Amino acid sequence: MNGRRRGAGGARVLDADVCVIGAGAGGAVAAAELAEGGASVVVLEQGPRHDADRFSARPLEMLARLYRDGGQTTTLGTPPILLPLGRGMGGTTLVNSGTCFRTPPAVLERWRREFGLEALADEDALDPCFQRVEQALSIQEVTPELAGRNAAVARRGAEALGWSHGFLRRNARGCVGSGVCAFGCPTSAKQHVGITYVPRAEAAGAQIIAGADVRRVLVGRGEARGVEARLLGGGSLEVRAPTVIVAAGTIHTPLLLARSALGRASGQLGRNLALHPATGAFALMDELVDMAKGVPQSFFIDEFASEGIMFEGVAGPPSYAAVALPLSGRRHAAAMADYRRLAMFGLMVSDRSRGSVRGLAGRPVIRYELLEEDVARFRSGLARMEELFRAAGAREVYLPLPHGVAPARARARDLKLMAFHPLGTARADARAEHGVVDGDLQLHGMRGVYVADGSVVPSSLGVNPQLTIMALATRLAFGLLGSDVPQPAKPGRARAGAGTA
Amino acid sequence: MRKPADPVRRGLDVFVDAAPQPQRSGMRLLIALERRPRGRRLLARTHAIDQLANGLVTMGHYEDPVNALPLGWDADAIAARGRALRREEGRP
Repeated sequence: MNGRRRGAGGARVLDADVCVIGAGAGGAVAAAELAEGGASVVVLEQGPRHDADRFSARPLEMLARLYRDGGQTTTLGTPPILLPLGRGMGGTTLVNSGTCFRTPPAVLERWRREFGLEALADEDALDPCFQRVEQALSIQEVTPELAGRNAAVARRGAEALGWSHGFLRRNARGCVGSGVCAFGCPTSAKQHVGITYVPRAEAAGAQIIAGADVRRVLVGRGEARGVEARLLGGGSLEVRAPTVIVAAGTIHTPLLLARSALGRASGQLGRNLALHPATGAFALMDELVDMAKGVPQSFFIDEFASEGIMFEGVAGPPSYAAVALPLSGRRHAAAMADYRRLAMFGLMVSDRSRGSVRGLAGRPVIRYELLEEDVARFRSGLARMEELFRAAGAREVYLPLPHGVAPARARARDLKLMAFHPLGTARADARAEHGVVDGDLQLHGMRGVYVADGSVVPSSLGVNPQLTIMALATRLAFGLLGSDVPQPAKPGRARAGAGTA
Repeated sequence: MRKPADPVRRGLDVFVDAAPQPQRSGMRLLIALERRPRGRRLLARTHAIDQLANGLVTMGHYEDPVNALPLGWDADAIAARGRALRREEGRP
């Protein structure tokens, strides 16, 4: 049972069975399942609760409000990569595109083979976890009507070329195609965890505290004791709990663990950062496209997924297109005047490159250098992007390269990249000398401290990671409850991740 | 924080102010250069920086409804429809 009292130094003290740090994809799922299972849970979220009434559909304003650092977290390296991170209840699920893929079987096989994660990567054991999340978040395939004309352009090209493709599955219900998934869904159609799992956790008795900046995880005699946090409104908080789940995200979890002098024995904390670097290209079409009318990310092409190249839709309002267009001056103005005829599509690489995260003066320093083999994937992907648009009938194609640089000659510094899927900085590995957490997501050598976010994912996925993270968090929660994940009412396996055909 | 009357500049200021240092100072410099003919000539020497500066200023430009509406984008209408739909259907 929770108790409230003051500790030494006047800190407010709460007691709980479990303290969860972060209310994003992993933390919110774990908190809800644990609370519904009868555990007393306290969730500490650094960011605020966001009010959907204030979602204005204006990218500049919403970037400043919904993202860390206004969405301008950037890696150091060649090239620098923009890494937008959500902040607040829901974490990055509040601002992502909603795309849901199960972990590809080939990736699970790699986890078993390379990282010894036999139980964690058991596809049959994960199936009920995936199904449970899929049902909770109403995950379903986008319809062609909602996908919009931007997706229709890519589909036309893919069909002409005979490339494997499909409409994406998303966690959305009642979507009307507002076109601003990344800037706060104004209709609350996107079933992010802030409006699904967080309310479930609260209804089950969990205490959810926003504006709580966790400074340290407390341990003693080789086991978890709780956490210390500073409160946004002033004062401090101590949560005493024998189980702590760290879910602060791939970039901030390693910083918190390092501050707490935890997870460092293997030397892997903060390392092995994978990003899924991505870019987007535009095409000028003869027909009206109105790219932001419809679901921005609704369509995918996985013909080249086995090569580590995935194409997915991307689109946005005029201000978003303006900053993403790889043009300047008069050419930029002319293209923007034709915004309604612009199509856009995205390319994501399942990276072999690896980076790192360290803390410096309380802030993350993210280093990431693109390996030549990933540059080669971008060359190949960009050439195919042009081929796709030409097959769809594009009048002009604008690739994200300097004027006059063909894809075959692109160098790392020529690429204009963003990334949305940071993974791996507290990676799971069965061997304590190679991983930060074990196959149960518990810190090696420390009882009661778990990690449940993208940082535990030990390799690139090649697909959007939120469903993987949520399934792993589901598995963790039921493991802590000592129960099996309930079998769904309608057993059956949904479509596996891309690149598995 | 300064509050310019120009809504374009205000939107861009909010975005720039949210950035960490040193990006924030760098973006203010780029925006200042991009808004001046001599500055644009200087920026044009480096493709990537030129594009970045151009993109920042035009991002603010097209956030302004005066420039977005002719391109078929009405942010206020989308936000209003969202609020109405949530109220009508009891969405969170």
